[in-house]
Amino acid sequence: MNPLEQRINNVAGSIGLIKRAWRRSARLKAGLLITFFIAALAVMGQHLAPYPSEGAGIVPANAAERMGKPPSLEFPFGTDNLGRDVLSRVLMGARLALLQVLLVAGASLGVGLLVGVYAAYYRGAIETLLNYATEIFLALPAIVLALALRIALGQGLHVVVVSLVLSWWPWYARASYVYARVVAEMEYVLLAQLAGVPGRIIVFRHVLRNVLPAVLVQAITDLGSVLLEASAINFLGLGLRPDEPDWGIIVQNGFKYITSMPWVSMFPGLFILVTALGFSMVGDSLREEVDPRMRRRWKLWF
Amino acid sequence: MPLSLNYLFRRLFWSIAVLAGVTLLSYLILVLSPGDPAAKWAGNPRGPGAAKAVELARKELGLDLPLHLQLLNFLRMVFTGDLGLSIAYKQPVYSILWRNLAATLELLFMAYIIGIPLGSLLGIFSALKRGGHLDGVLQTSGLALANTPAFWLGMAIFATLVPYGFTAYGRISTNLAIATNFQIFTGLYLLDALLQLNAPIFFDVLARLLPPALAVAAYPTGVCLRIVRTLMADALLEEHVRVAVAWGVKRRTVVWRYAFRATLPGLVQVSGLAFAYSLVDAMVVEYVFGREGLGRLLFDAISVSDFRLAIGLLIVVATFYLIINTVADVAQALIDPRVKL
Repeated sequence: MNPLEQRINNVAGSIGLIKRAWRRSARLKAGLLITFFIAALAVMGQHLAPYPSEGAGIVPANAAERMGKPPSLEFPFGTDNLGRDVLSRVLMGARLALLQVLLVAGASLGVGLLVGVYAAYYRGAIETLLNYATEIFLALPAIVLALALRIALGQGLHVVVVSLVLSWWPWYARASYVYARVVAEMEYVLLAQLAGVPGRIIVFRHVLRNVLPAVLVQAITDLGSVLLEASAINFLGLGLRPDEPDWGIIVQNGFKYITSMPWVSMFPGLFILVTALGFSMVGDSLREEVDPRMRRRWKLWF
Repeated sequence: MPLSLNYLFRRLFWSIAVLAGVTLLSYLILVLSPGDPAAKWAGNPRGPGAAKAVELARKELGLDLPLHLQLLNFLRMVFTGDLGLSIAYKQPVYSILWRNLAATLELLFMAYIIGIPLGSLLGIFSALKRGGHLDGVLQTSGLALANTPAFWLGMAIFATLVPYGFTAYGRISTNLAIATNFQIFTGLYLLDALLQLNAPIFFDVLARLLPPALAVAAYPTGVCLRIVRTLMADALLEEHVRVAVAWGVKRRTVVWRYAFRATLPGLVQVSGLAFAYSLVDAMVVEYVFGREGLGRLLFDAISVSDFRLAIGLLIVVATFYLIINTVADVAQALIDPRVKL
């Protein structure tokens, strides 16, 4: 058992942990602030955007006179080559970004936990088979998988989500397998077995529950990487349709005009960077708080 | 020697098994997704020759056979190096992949030659200043570097360089290559130019390689900075480092030979993991800079639904991933005498 699992096994413990981390770590504050900001945008972006229809990708009627305007008071982020307000598009992109990230992280975490825990608890042939599957999917890069799915299934959100889930779950399967091996050796598991509790209940109630917190922190840390990969897939045109307000796609919209209207690509890219950074800051400082080995605040002798 | 031949054979067998799994999985995507697999394999053709092309694809895949025979047939196609002609390029899939892999590797190697030393140096520095303001700044910039979208950074670098007369699109100036009678041996142009002592080509290739390499290097630099900082802070607390300081060993020796040495196994392991991620970055950045490479293939394959190329890419990238993992494990065993394989 690592200290992480021991400390965040119950709700009160995890709240205390977050409180202490909040007091101690400026990075956690910054990260949570960014995360809440993006979450607020995801909820209200539709209403905050000055031109919601353009945000959704519809080209305005007076496109000819509005295209390629640099940032100004009227269009704080400028307009793109089709005359659409970039600010509206970027603000409305928050919802899509969060949607993709949460779908991918949630599904990967679910699948990974189940596979890892089952492999660790049941051992034998199941273990070999599940570990083999994990290794296979571990070797698949999301971006190439997205190409195959794009050809087989056509464009859309499902390509991004499915390809990312297929390439992310093995990481969680591996992590939860390692933790679950330790938990499965614990005495309370043995006692439950002796008491005649069926295996499927032990797996969920005793093993999975104790593995969850550690893997969950890992998943929070990974949210940023998921966003980066999803954006790369959308940037290459493998995922969502080219008029959707996804940040990766808006960067792609500005790609051809990078020298004449750099603002089109600049702002959505900044949003990707800041959001990913926010997720990483939260996950990172939580892990630092939980694992005292990472926390070296005092200065030594040289 | 902490490494056994037995281990290498087991590793090889396991890798082949994983590759077979990757192949079967991609075949299942082809067959189980809605639509006619033969049409997908032929690139969803339209027009007068379409029916013939689909019929040909059906025969090639053996779709009238039972599923297990189809799978065996497909495995044979992949492992004998015969995936047919790419629809996008009208050339054998594997030869295209081979040619473009070299371009991507060149970019990746360059990025790592920049990123790993830079990240390590900053990480060591950060660990020595731990607790201070500089440490905090470096840690946060490491996080920011690791979280920068590579394609966006590449575009930013490109847009910044253009006003200074940067026109270096692609991998090499064709005119210059013809004028200086440049020959390609390895496909790594930098190495080829060096072998032929061809200075103009060398600098031309380098000038085109450095900007994208910087964009790809951001991720390994950030990751390396953070991992070295963490491991180094641990290593500095070890008893043997303490003793060395007490004995009056020179500071530089303590830092490099005693403390940094201990971070190497972890550094190698993390670099190996980061390599797989950087490969994706490299593919996207290549597309931004208009270079040849796996990323270009990816992009070209979309418009004509080139499923064969997609399978080829999956196999090549998975192979690459397995090789890098093996190399990282072996290197770790060579560096760290406690690890036995």
